[in-house]
Formats: sequence, C-alpha cells, structure tokens
Amino acid sequence: MAAESPISDRKVVVHLRATGDAPILKQTKFKIAGNDNFCKVIEFLRRQLRRDTLFVYVNSAFSPNPDELVIDLYNNFGFDGKLVVNYASSMAWG
Amino acid sequence: MGGHCLWDGTLSPNDFIASADDLTKKWMAINPNLPQWTWIPCQRMDVSCNTQAEGYLALENMYQLSASEVNAPTDDENYSAEEAPFDNATLIQSYNDDMHIYDFHIVYSFSYQVPVLYFRGYRCDGHPLHLCDIEKDLPPYSSKIRNESKWTFMTQEEHPYLCCPWYTLHPCGTSDWMKLLLGGDLPSKNPDMLHYLSAWLSVVGQTVGLRIPLELHDKSI
Repeated sequence: MAAESPISDRKVVVHLRATGDAPILKQTKFKIAGNDNFCKVIEFLRRQLRRDTLFVYVNSAFSPNPDELVIDLYNNFGFDGKLVVNYASSMAWG
Repeated sequence: MGGHCLWDGTLSPNDFIASADDLTKKWMAINPNLPQWTWIPCQRMDVSCNTQAEGYLALENMYQLSASEVNAPTDDENYSAEEAPFDNATLIQSYNDDMHIYDFHIVYSFSYQVPVLYFRGYRCDGHPLHLCDIEKDLPPYSSKIRNESKWTFMTQEEHPYLCCPWYTLHPCGTSDWMKLLLGGDLPSKNPDMLHYLSAWLSVVGQTVGLRIPLELHDKSI
C-alpha cells in the first residue's frame, strides 16, 4: 500500500473481510490513499494471500472495477468511517 | 452443505425480468448518452409451457477504438499480430478503420437458472472479430481475470434465440460466486434479487471490458 503521498491526499480506511474459504489476514484494517485505484487493494490481497485468483467485492453488492478510485468507492459505499472489502478464493472447476 | 446461507445463488425467470427492468431504468438514468439496454421479447422454438413473458436484454453498438495497428492487413484471415511489423512512426488510429463495435446480450439460462452473457464484436465493415481480436481490445485486467479465475471462461455457443454463434461466458460457476456476492453472511438475510443483474454485471463486465458505472450499485437511486 502507498506509504508516502502528498499531504492533500485523503486516506481511506479499508477493512478486509474473508468470506467463504478464504484465509483470514492477521491485520485486516489498512489505510490507502484515496486517489489510488482499487487494483491496489486487489494486488495487496494477492500478495498477502499469495493467491492469484481472488473474488473481491463490496457490501454484498458488487465487484468494483480495478480502476475505480478508492475515494469514490468510500464516498459512495463506505460506512462507519471505512470501506469494507470482502474477498473469497475463486473455486476450482468441479 | 447446510451452510450459513440458504440461498443457492440462482434467480427465477420472474426475478430475472424484474431485475432486467431495474437495470434498464437505472442505466438510462445514469448513462443517458450511451447505448441503452433494451428488452427484446421473444419465444424459444423448443420451449415447454412457459406462459410468462420471455426475452433477453440487449446492449448494442458499443463502439470501441481498436488496439490493432493500422498497417495490419485487413482482409487476411490468417493474420496474426506476430507477423505484422510494429512501427511506432506509422501507427495512426482512424475512426473508420479501427473502430470496433460490440453487442452484449444478457440471456436467462433455464438450465442453470442464472443470467448468461453473450457478446460479439465486429469491424465497421461488418467483418466479425475473432476472440483473439476481441482480446486485444480489452483492458489488461480483463485478460488476467479470464485467464486466472476458474469461474469465468469464454466459449463460443449458439445464441439461444438468434441461432448463430456468439461468444459467451460459461455460466456453470455463476451461482457459486453470486451466492457469495449477494448472499452475505447472515442466514436470515434475503438476497437482494432486484439488484441481481447489476451485481452480476459488475463481475462479468470486467471480463469483457464493459464498464459499469458505480452509481448503478447505489441503492438509494
């Protein structure tokens, strides 16, 4: 996640929630720059979980496009001061 | 399974129609200047005794500037990107030659009880695009999702109503990930069936480069 950014950047608190069979992270809350794209969250999850195939979604409602801005997601769908992002492992073909 | 959620991720034909109506109206309100979703009523030739209205959603004439280089041969069926030399100095994109047109249809699958996306692309002269051409038009994350996720893969199938081959995202994993997406983790929660299609589209749209505006998911609209 971005460690350095201009003072004018607003940071967004992202709460990562495991669903289905996905592993739970030790640390689940992070701050990310508002003008980062959502793909940064997806990539962060992939690195932390060492898995390529992840299903990532917000608010039991939709899966954000990777180039959406985190601040737009937070402004529209955040609550209690954070953006809740759910993730699950993509299941293999049965 | 006996899990924490009783819903299986599918939707009924009536819920499909209601959700299609909701998607159509919201899309019109949010994107009035873009091509619109249209409900196409029709009847399948082989069908049973469905007395309810049947049809599919169509979004057509989505223009996409192609990513292919201008100095590629235009009438060579065997053309491949590796054969044509890429010359930065002569790369010019003109609206006529390099505009691709896409049609997207959302069709209800009675066997899987989920929506299925059918799509096709073609050049301005009507020449259909092969999948390898289409893939060049898509953003990088689309390829990543299609290649990595076991839940989405493309095949070519006969369109259920139009009886000609279209590309489609196979629906066999749909109910599994829709169960996660809309089911939530409260067993007593009823899934929000009215927004099923916009939720579904937020996922499948990414695999085919169809951009879904954020406002579509705002339930206050």
